[in-house]
Amino acid sequence: MSTDGNARAGRADGPGPREGRPVEVGFFTDSTLCIGCKACEVACKQWNQLPDDGFRLTGMSFDNTGHLGASSWRHVAFVERDEPLPGQGSPRNGAGAERGAPAFAELVPLGQPRPTSLLHDLAPTQIAPPPGGNGSATARGPERPVPLGPTQEALSKFSWLMLSDVCKHCERAGCLEACPTGAILRTEFGSVYIQPDVCNGCGYCISACPFGVVARRADDGRAWKCTLCYDRLRDGMVPACAKHCPTNSIMFGPLDQLRLRARERVEQLHARGLKEAYLYGEDAASQPGTHGLHAFFLLCDRPEVYNLPPDPVVPTAKIVRSWKAMAAGVASLAALAVAVVLSARET
Amino acid sequence: MEPPREEIGTRDGRNVSPGLGQLLGEGAAQQVKPPPERAAPDLLPTVAKEEPGSPTYYGLPVLKEPVWTWEIPAYFFTGGLAGACAVLAGAAQLAGGAPSRALVRRARLLAAGGAAASAALLIDDLGRPGRFGAMLRVFRPSSPMNQGTWVLSGFGAFSTAAAAGAVLSLPRPLRGASEAAGLGAALLGLPLVGYTGVLLANTAVPLWQMTGNTLPLLFAFSGAVSAGAAFDLWPVPGPGATMARRFGLVAKGAELALSRIMHLEASAVPRVEMALRRGRAGRLLRLARIALLASVALDLLPPRGRGRRLASGALAMAGTLAVRFGVVAAGRASARDPRATFEMQRAGHGAAEIVREKKRPMPAPPGVDVGGRESYQHGAAPP
Repeated sequence: MSTDGNARAGRADGPGPREGRPVEVGFFTDSTLCIGCKACEVACKQWNQLPDDGFRLTGMSFDNTGHLGASSWRHVAFVERDEPLPGQGSPRNGAGAERGAPAFAELVPLGQPRPTSLLHDLAPTQIAPPPGGNGSATARGPERPVPLGPTQEALSKFSWLMLSDVCKHCERAGCLEACPTGAILRTEFGSVYIQPDVCNGCGYCISACPFGVVARRADDGRAWKCTLCYDRLRDGMVPACAKHCPTNSIMFGPLDQLRLRARERVEQLHARGLKEAYLYGEDAASQPGTHGLHAFFLLCDRPEVYNLPPDPVVPTAKIVRSWKAMAAGVASLAALAVAVVLSARET
Repeated sequence: MEPPREEIGTRDGRNVSPGLGQLLGEGAAQQVKPPPERAAPDLLPTVAKEEPGSPTYYGLPVLKEPVWTWEIPAYFFTGGLAGACAVLAGAAQLAGGAPSRALVRRARLLAAGGAAASAALLIDDLGRPGRFGAMLRVFRPSSPMNQGTWVLSGFGAFSTAAAAGAVLSLPRPLRGASEAAGLGAALLGLPLVGYTGVLLANTAVPLWQMTGNTLPLLFAFSGAVSAGAAFDLWPVPGPGATMARRFGLVAKGAELALSRIMHLEASAVPRVEMALRRGRAGRLLRLARIALLASVALDLLPPRGRGRRLASGALAMAGTLAVRFGVVAAGRASARDPRATFEMQRAGHGAAEIVREKKRPMPAPPGVDVGGRESYQHGAAPP
């Protein structure tokens, strides 16, 4: 399979599509643009006509999907961090101010002395100034300094991270290489597809996926995952999640264009002060274990925070040593069998 | 007439009225049972405790737990027993001479019976048992499960033919074919006892991936232990009894040593090794160790009576069965623990291992320096 993977890698890096062959496409999911609306989850369910997952609340966050599953092919992760992030929180006292320039200019409505926002709705008279007067502070024009209230104090040390997770359609896919029936195949669009009419539900792909994407639905008995909307791609349409994303957090397109766009976006964010931004799995160099992902991400914290593995590897890439160990083991077993037979032999 | 709205809503979880829409989507073939039998699918596994240290996503697992039920570890046992019996029978057939024919005959019966039980267990564990034949529609070296199915199929045919020769009085040409089938079963029995370790190693489960060098060896000798124990419980006349006992005894020592090595191999990342010590898996593996040690003690201490042999065989059988169930339970626990995956990969046992082997520079993931240490604090900007 590795030769297959190498050949494919060469094709993906080539100058352009071959004659008569569709371009390899994928997703670039920019977590800085995600607002957690879950439109992608709904669009995916609706287009693919997936059954519900049982309507339950996780009780831990706004994330009630929890993880990708047999019937949930998009999953929006909600991370609540006790850390500031440039661009979030109070522009005056929050993260932006600590780093120098605020990420966004405050809006001062005409005819009003002070900016209005949720943070400023609490009048200084209503909140007790913090003891010692620390954290208070910026004098605004002729007015007296506004002390930092508890709400502002809390919000200045807080940030949201949201990410719409999906099957990564790895360049070298663990599920595909492990599938014993050939039910999982690589489509002409470069995506990884499970054929429901072949899958016999052995469950091997579920354990072989380094991202925990593939799942088996108990009452169906087969493995399911994102198909990259194969039916829509065949008709020249954009996958349902990308089509519905209202902020363009999910971008769909030819992989080479997406990579260019993603790198530009990282540079843009770095220039704006968001030094944490980086790409996760955009090519083989950044993620050697999978030779790169066809659905890659822009993240602002370590991968673990979003429940992504930091250094994933396709299990097949390491399996030769196990076969060698097995050969040594069974050879010694055969030697043992012959030895015990000879030792107890009666002539 | 249209069924009431509530009924449409609960029938298949899709809310598509048959009068208004057709089910043609990519997920439309996904079957859903009607509410009474329909368990809420994909329930979140137990949410791990929020612990200080490296971050997780609310303690949720990063991997999906293996969906295999008790049939798979049971198959590891029956397959190992069958394979090791065929190997022992093949050795006795080649080198044992006429007095060991009793051992050959019984080992062939056990091999054929074990192969049949293995096939039944494997088919029963499938989500779609009716499609078991799909396993043989491709030959795929990258999938240990596919290779194992081919090995088991060939082994089943050979061992059944050999067993037929052992119980039936066949005419001369068929007897020769049956003897040849016995040797074929012995040859295929070798990969059959060992490949199950490779099957587990070829997963993303941290514990199984970390112990990929030991598992095939452990399972191979575990199979030999069960073969030896089978002849303690079902004693054979002639020199075969001594052969089987020695086979089992050496294998018990090897299995005890290998389970220790498995702990050592996993302990390169303490969080990964934890799965071998805690919970159900830890109890099963401790039980296995005690049972195997007791069995060895019974074997070595004089005097050797019939009761002692039976007790030793039963203990060894229980011990080796507990090893299979323990290793599978430990893998499940390891897959549920997100920190096992994270810490293993941060410690350089992910793709970094391959990159190191190929002597290519390792791309440092953001937040980690080349040595695998955290280079900046959670949430803070990189230097």
